Amino acid sequence: MTDHSGSKKGWADTKAFRNGFLGVLVFAAVAAAVAGFLPQFRKDHPHFAIEVMGAFFAVYGFLAFTFIVLVGQHLRKLVGRKEDYYEERE
Amino acid sequence: MGADSLFSALAMNPAVIMIVGAVLGAFIPNGYAAIRRPLMLIFVATSAVQLSRLGLGEYGALSIFGEAATMLRLDPLSRLFAVVFHIATALNLVYAWHSRDRAQDFASLAYPAAALGGVLAGDLITLFVWWEIAAVTSVFLVWGPGTRATFLAGMRYLTIQILSGVLLLAGIVLVYRETGSFAFGEIGLRDASGAIKASGLLMFLAFGIKAAFPLLHNWVQDAYPKASFAGTIVLSVFTTKLAVASLARAFPGTEELIVIGAVMTIFPIFFALIENDLKKVLCYSINNQVGFMVIGIGFGTAASINGAVGYAFTNIIFESLLFMAVGAAIYRTGTSKATELGGLYKTMPLTMVFAIVGAMSISAFPGFAGFVTKGLIIDAAGDAHAFWIWLVLLFASAGVLEHAGIKIPYFTFFAHDSGKRPKEAPPAMLLAMGVSAFLCIAIGVYPEPLYALMPYPEAVADYHPYAPYHVVEQLQLLLWAVLAFAVLILVKWYPAEIPSANLDADWLYRVPGRALLGWAAAAVMAIWNLLWRLASMRFLGAIERIYSVHGPEGALARSWPTGFMALATAIVLGLALLIAFAA
Repeated sequence: MTDHSGSKKGWADTKAFRNGFLGVLVFAAVAAAVAGFLPQFRKDHPHFAIEVMGAFFAVYGFLAFTFIVLVGQHLRKLVGRKEDYYEERE
Repeated sequence: MGADSLFSALAMNPAVIMIVGAVLGAFIPNGYAAIRRPLMLIFVATSAVQLSRLGLGEYGALSIFGEAATMLRLDPLSRLFAVVFHIATALNLVYAWHSRDRAQDFASLAYPAAALGGVLAGDLITLFVWWEIAAVTSVFLVWGPGTRATFLAGMRYLTIQILSGVLLLAGIVLVYRETGSFAFGEIGLRDASGAIKASGLLMFLAFGIKAAFPLLHNWVQDAYPKASFAGTIVLSVFTTKLAVASLARAFPGTEELIVIGAVMTIFPIFFALIENDLKKVLCYSINNQVGFMVIGIGFGTAASINGAVGYAFTNIIFESLLFMAVGAAIYRTGTSKATELGGLYKTMPLTMVFAIVGAMSISAFPGFAGFVTKGLIIDAAGDAHAFWIWLVLLFASAGVLEHAGIKIPYFTFFAHDSGKRPKEAPPAMLLAMGVSAFLCIAIGVYPEPLYALMPYPEAVADYHPYAPYHVVEQLQLLLWAVLAFAVLILVKWYPAEIPSANLDADWLYRVPGRALLGWAAAAVMAIWNLLWRLASMRFLGAIERIYSVHGPEGALARSWPTGFMALATAIVLGLALLIAFAA
């Protein structure tokens, strides 16, 4: 079913792809953040004052994701057990 | 209930048509198993034709014990779920085209049929019947692999599902006592004075169990991943969405749902982050996604209900697509562990592309199905000026991107190279995934047909998902979150996957609960033994005494000599003479 023989690098493993992907990502992210300050991309009637800040969604997205990963991983210490934890008890 | 009217009410019901297909399929001998799924697909198509032929309205009106019942109600709410249930059922049948397992094939159609019957139910008795059929038929999918672990998980699953049914039945009885009717409409959690009413609470809990409310949610992570890879996909669609449809009908505008939904969107994000089994990650994703829908129902406006059920529609397609992509990887490699996968893009490129389409849809990137429906829910929070809920929804959106948008495709197809070089998924799987991916993009680009299906189309007439500000806000949120991921990977702060079992609420009944049950069973046994011993000692003592008197060796069983009898008679006679003389 599965051939374990291959170890050849694929296109996604090349440095060129990774740098290219990162470059496009940074460009698009910065462009979206800048667009948030342009009047034609602003909401006419924002629901909350914080939305008026042009890059609010960018900052919030970055911080939320970082918080989830950096804080969330510590949940392992509290709830993580051996893989066969339940098998041993059932 | 008249037999003729019952027959015609059943015959016209699309859910019954699908059930008949499932039963007929189950009778096909294993030697002809190859025709089972094509036959079932014909019944799904027939059911869909019947659905469109009927049009909006109420059908199958019956009298049960003198009370009016409506077995089939096709209104905009139930129609939306009926349409997507047909799409999902057909795609799931195609996906596992190779299946030759009679019980699994039966359940793959009977269970969706039951869920369909539930969303189409116009009265509470009909809802209850389909509710229980859905519970019983779906457990066959959990038991599919046939191991001890799946048997135990199936029993736990069945217990919880039946508990939901019992609560529903109790709620129905109380609703009938209050209203004198079995009609299935808005019930509400509180009475006119604002106090919580028992009928509403029981039904709320019954729906809440199936919707996997927090602390009632763990049957999803416990049972679903233990089914076969194809069974998990079927399971992922129906039960929770039947609950969402029921909540939307019975509890729109129930404020408690906003808080419950907010918790549902947040906590699974953290459990999904640390979970190594990608099937379980997707199960946590179900909780998170249903949370968005529950919040939409909680706001209770026409726009938010549209958002909730519209999101359910699109979620069924893209969540299934993600399950299918992971299922294809499992089918080819035999594992769903992130630690054992990676690098599959080299030999499963089409599956990888479909997974990315599913991931972008669930993350709500513009151009994909999630974007045109999730925005309705987030906007509803804005319209209600619910600032904290609005922040929670944005936070949860970043969380969805983390576990479903990035983790699933990244650890399956990229990340570290597992060295596995499996073949591409079989054509049937590719077809099902391809159609799902097409729908994700088609709905994302052209959402109007979906908007027209929504319960309140007039409320979505002025909604423009591709308004420039909306696209920019969403792109800011998602692209900067992806950027955060890239930075965390580059600085090696993104946590490595670790094989582990992560405790969740099910620990309460699987470990201490199980121990308590074992202790209670032992205590009952000990008390029984003691009572039995005491009772049997007294009983045996009495028997022994009777035996000593009446038994073969007993005093009363002795044979008496004739001389003794003559002497005794003389003594009695003498005593009689003495008494007579004295008298």
